[in-house]
Amino acid sequence: MRKIWTILILHLMAFFKSPGVLVLMFVMPVLFSGIFGGMTMNSEQNKPIVNVVLSDTENSGQILNLLAKDQHYEWKKATRQEAEKNVAAQDVAAAVVIPDDIGERISASKPLLDIIVQRKNESYLALSAHLEGTAGLVLRSYQATSKLDSDAFPKVLETITNNKGVTVEKQTIQKDKQTNVEANLMFVGFAMMFMMFGLSGAASTILEERMGGTWGRLMVSPASKLQIILGYLLAYFFMGWTQFAILMTTMNLMFATTWGNLTYLIPFASLVILSVVGFGLMIAGLVKTKQQASAISAVLIVSTCMLGGVYWPIDIVPELMQKIALGVPQSWAMSGFKEIISGSLHSATLMKDTLALVGFSAIFFFIGLRGIKFE
Amino acid sequence: MNMLTVQDLRKSFGSFEAVKGVNFSVEKGESYGLLGPNGAGKSTTINMITGLFPPNSGEIKIKDIDVIKNPKQAQKWIGVVPQEIALYQSMSARENLKFWGRMYDLSGSELEKSVDRVLEIIGLTERAKDKVSTFSGGMKRRVNIGAAILHKPELLIMDEPTVGIDPQSRNHILETVKHLNGEGMTIIYTSHYMEEVEYLCERIGIVDHGQLIASGTLSELRETIGDHSKIILSIDKESSNLEGLAQSLTGLFSEKDIQIQEQQVMVFHKEPQLILTDFIQSVAKTGTKITSVNIVEPNLESVFLHLTGRNLRD
Ligand SMILES: Nc1ncnc2c1ncn2[C@@H]1O[C@H](COP(=O)(O)OP(=O)(O)OP(=O)(O)O)[C@@H](O)[C@H]1O
Ligand SMILES: [Mg+2]
Repeated sequence: MRKIWTILILHLMAFFKSPGVLVLMFVMPVLFSGIFGGMTMNSEQNKPIVNVVLSDTENSGQILNLLAKDQHYEWKKATRQEAEKNVAAQDVAAAVVIPDDIGERISASKPLLDIIVQRKNESYLALSAHLEGTAGLVLRSYQATSKLDSDAFPKVLETITNNKGVTVEKQTIQKDKQTNVEANLMFVGFAMMFMMFGLSGAASTILEERMGGTWGRLMVSPASKLQIILGYLLAYFFMGWTQFAILMTTMNLMFATTWGNLTYLIPFASLVILSVVGFGLMIAGLVKTKQQASAISAVLIVSTCMLGGVYWPIDIVPELMQKIALGVPQSWAMSGFKEIISGSLHSATLMKDTLALVGFSAIFFFIGLRGIKFE
Repeated sequence: MNMLTVQDLRKSFGSFEAVKGVNFSVEKGESYGLLGPNGAGKSTTINMITGLFPPNSGEIKIKDIDVIKNPKQAQKWIGVVPQEIALYQSMSARENLKFWGRMYDLSGSELEKSVDRVLEIIGLTERAKDKVSTFSGGMKRRVNIGAAILHKPELLIMDEPTVGIDPQSRNHILETVKHLNGEGMTIIYTSHYMEEVEYLCERIGIVDHGQLIASGTLSELRETIGDHSKIILSIDKESSNLEGLAQSLTGLFSEKDIQIQEQQVMVFHKEPQLILTDFIQSVAKTGTKITSVNIVEPNLESVFLHLTGRNLRD
């Protein structure tokens, strides 16, 4: 165990001491995402503003919080007059009025929320879907609490607002939340691509070490082959995770990006990183020199990333290409990340993605471990 | 007690047979030298003994442990100095030693002490914190050896530990090895420098073309050439008459003791002083001009020459 750890630390340190690697694994994905994802990112910064006219009831505050869960809009409080003026001047996309007679409207089956708009354009449609969803929630909460005391209704609303599950549900309802998910996915994709570059580069140092003699020296030490290879592979795995964790956290802090449910994300990302490690090992096992390894991996990584929907969503390519995509692990990784990041967490899809990646990893490790010369 | 036994070791790379049935054994506390020219199969033999790769056939035992079946068991007892400098160049000498020490199950204060002791032995205590990549060839070689002796192996196997270094470092290394052997460490030392092997090793095996062509103590090996010295006459190419030379010399000496080349005539003899005059006269008689005379005491070089008809280093 101690030997594994010693080897692991050695390679981890060497890896993160090399400036080339840091640029490759940390700067490049950010740069690429910045360039490719620039448009989607920008559009997010100029969110349409929606004015909200509150009533004096406690409920209306809670309803506003509920509405504000859709981060595609900037929700600003306003008085009725201001709101009407803003809408007329097109300073805001729309205004939502939360009435003070919610109870009566519910009893009379009238629409719960009023919308003031200039024109019924696309963003109105998206907004109205969100409003309907929210209204539906409010309605159900009201019905559920109508038999209880008057305090219960705002409390339920509050609980719903604070409940993450509601957000998740809403995201799947909301078609246009998609752009956000796609930007995040693109970022994950680039992180994955550069991780592939970084880790296959790292794995090919085994070839260099074979030439240099340190590999042979390890082989004739009392450390077992298993300990040695585990040391290397775990080092690569940690390299991958460090990159992934740092990039995801940075994005989260800088752009408030959400990465979905961590209890799904962490194991799935681990599996993806494991297959990337396997990929690197396979390349190192197939060629003789580090130069060959970097040439082959460059070609393989770029082409499979294109096929696998790392640069653009797989849904937009022709059907044949979508079929071909099934043959590269990135498509499964992206599909799984999509399920998790979008929050839809469709378990059958996620399970298929997981199994496919397990399969790819097994193949990669098999080829890699057979190819690596332990002498 | 037998430290190492090697029996009928064979290894082929593809269709090329690099080691063709090597046998030898090394006693505990002994220093054994493997001498042979480039490509003789020394490293291949060493690599099989250290368990780096298995032979095609044959047997290797270290302290009665079957190296082919239980390499990891055997490797605990040995220290290996590879022919190439097998170190992490971007790490300091100390970091390297610590890393390799850990691979040999050292840890904690025991590891620290070993590293300090070894740095002392290899004379690099002052430079311990410097990166190996900044070291001279000789210093790297010393660290390369240091990494093999941290765990005080019973058997130290060194594959040409002095190639390509300055005389000062070389002397330091030879002293170190002599010292370690003096402390009871069994040594296997590979080289194509006969002086090193003569200086260090009690017993010597001479390897050529994958075979052990002779083995024994230095004096035993000298015996094989009958303890003969070598008289070398350098001759003027223009004036030489090779056929005449051959004729006049075979009258004086037995054919296997004579070697005639374009610019050299050589004769092996136990007591060179006795025959020197006759030798020179019979060469001069053929009209060949002699440009210099040289008498070489019997050494491994001449043993090798005698056995193979070639020089150890061409
Ligand atoms: N991995 C290999 N594949 C093919 N041939 C090899 C391999 N290793 C060694 N050989 C060949 O086997 C022969 C013996 O090589 P070896 O390295 O054992 O020689 P050596 O005695 O150590 O020489 P040197 O003094 O140059 O180190 C050489 O002809 C070499 O070309
Ligand atoms: Mg060699």
